[in-house]
Amino acid sequence: MNRRELLVGGTAVASFAIMPRMAFADPNRIDWITSSDQNVIDFWTNVVKPKFEAANSGLTINLVNGGGGSGLQAIAARALAALQTKTDPQVDFFEGFDSRLPKGGIEAGLWTDFSKANLSNYSKINPLAKDIPTNIQYRGSQVLLAYDSTKLPKDKAPKTWPDLVAWIKANPGQFIYNRPDKGGSGGNFVVRAIYEANGKDPSLFTVANFDKAKADDMLGKGFALLKDLAPSLMDQGAYTSGNTQSIQLLSQGAVTMIPAWSDQSLSALTQGVLPDTTGLVQLADLGFPGGFTNCTVPTNGANHEATLKLVDFLLTEDIQSAVLTKLGGFPGVSWDYVAADLREKFKDIVPKSIPVFPGGDWTSAVNDGWYRTVAPNVDRNAK
Amino acid sequence: MTVAAAAPVAPAAKEKSQGAIGLLLVMLPVLLVIWLVIWPIISAIVTTLWIPDAGGFTTKTYQFFFSDPYSLNNLGLTLWTTAVVAAILLLLCLPIALYLRFTEGGLGGYVQGLAIFPMFVPSIILSYAFIRVLGPNGMVDILLNAVHLPKIRTPYLTPWGSVIGLVWDNIPLTVLILASGLGNVSNAAVEAARDVGANRLQVLWSIILPKLTNTLLVALSFTVLNIFSSFTLPYVLGPAAPEMMGPFMQRSFRELNDPLSAVTQAVVAFAFCLVFGLFYVASVARNRPKP
Repeated sequence: MNRRELLVGGTAVASFAIMPRMAFADPNRIDWITSSDQNVIDFWTNVVKPKFEAANSGLTINLVNGGGGSGLQAIAARALAALQTKTDPQVDFFEGFDSRLPKGGIEAGLWTDFSKANLSNYSKINPLAKDIPTNIQYRGSQVLLAYDSTKLPKDKAPKTWPDLVAWIKANPGQFIYNRPDKGGSGGNFVVRAIYEANGKDPSLFTVANFDKAKADDMLGKGFALLKDLAPSLMDQGAYTSGNTQSIQLLSQGAVTMIPAWSDQSLSALTQGVLPDTTGLVQLADLGFPGGFTNCTVPTNGANHEATLKLVDFLLTEDIQSAVLTKLGGFPGVSWDYVAADLREKFKDIVPKSIPVFPGGDWTSAVNDGWYRTVAPNVDRNAK
Repeated sequence: MTVAAAAPVAPAAKEKSQGAIGLLLVMLPVLLVIWLVIWPIISAIVTTLWIPDAGGFTTKTYQFFFSDPYSLNNLGLTLWTTAVVAAILLLLCLPIALYLRFTEGGLGGYVQGLAIFPMFVPSIILSYAFIRVLGPNGMVDILLNAVHLPKIRTPYLTPWGSVIGLVWDNIPLTVLILASGLGNVSNAAVEAARDVGANRLQVLWSIILPKLTNTLLVALSFTVLNIFSSFTLPYVLGPAAPEMMGPFMQRSFRELNDPLSAVTQAVVAFAFCLVFGLFYVASVARNRPKP
């Protein structure tokens, strides 16, 4: 063998070795993929997976981090293509995904309609959490205010929206929230302002009642409140690009108060990312909205039946109580279906009603409108 | 093996078969480019111009883009950022590349290592490090405070935030391209110029830069393409509005559920990148030795 042959042969062997191994869906292995953060993956690894596999011998769950929403979208688009070619999409469960995407997926029958899937626990889902029937909810979380209690004594922390506005204006530069589409803490702060401008009535906004002209008017009033706040925010109107960056600014002492997710603040406190002196407070006049995480199941998954078993399992009292105790989130089922002692224990912390802002058109209108009216209205050269 | 078997054949036939192998080798990347780049571009242009719901051929998505002040602001910021970053990069990287080309001694290796280092830092990590260092109450503020100086006006969440991040991130590629271009400048030419009494500036201006025009063009088009399509750094470090085209496209697509606008923005961005792509192709074509 001369040198050239060696090179050619070597390259052939090497390229064979680095060729992607073909992956096929295993029977009885539920391919699960998520857009959520590490704390949720840990929760599945340590709690849901072992419990489910113990209860259903022979079935396993393959937990995969999908790398955020756009990663899941790409996989969902492939699942839709697989539906059209009648091939195996190699995925069974989407955690943290909205079945409104990819466009045309629902119409093509890509997503399982859970209301018709004969789930024994479906009726237990909190009516506040329910979205369209192709999305199912098993966990939620609520936004609250996190603040530095060394700068703001606990008894002085704002308890109502007018208190909060007064505090922000009296302490310019000490408050920041993130862009509404980049993380729920800022998003729900924006929604809370919209509620405030519309008589504190979350029931005015439902999935079905979106109307462009009405929305422009109702949202516009909320944006006016936020525009009024902008000059008193950090840097006269800077907005972080995510929940984590807000927490980072609070921990660096750059600001005194931020809106933050309840579960994220609790884990930041336990990990020491936020110091023990961080205070958490919920508004008493109307709480900050929360959100429930949507999950979807493609109808063409190879393990569709087993996956529906998993969905039903998620809504059992056992897992729902664990969502509360292990994940620091809110259960997706109504509070009547959570263990009685937990219901008693969390009675004071968790309000009975979590305002939930409808996804879809309303959320898109908020995100678009905020960027167009609130965000650019910054005169950074002022001062 | 074909290659080995072809070897003893007469020279003309050999040349021919090597040409065929060359074509075969080049076919794979060309097919990949057609499949993964050219085809999506054509499909994007078609989807934005041929909208069955609106009665076939229409330019309304482009009309909206170019009449919408918000979109135009985003495009403006992207062009501004691109121009500023490209200018800073050339001013910063040319001296480094010159130093690396003409230095003799051990220090050059360390400088090179340092200049290439950003290549190995993922931009998301860079972003958070940036907030820690240049953000409010970050390390720079702490150091300034230690010597009783006022805090800096932090560039975090302003257009300068993305500029600083992008410059740092693009230094390695620019330095590498410029350094390789400087390899074309022969020591003899420089020494000859020195012998006739040219000073350093004259050497740079009359000997080195004329040899380097093509390389500068290549470096410029690479950085411009990189910056124009950047996502993570402007997303994390830049202001909420106006935003750069990368985050804007992603937001239109994902948060506003509006793929059509996102594709339109992509085609507009692509049109701008095309200009610099053509610069690059032209300069490569000009550089090819004449047959």
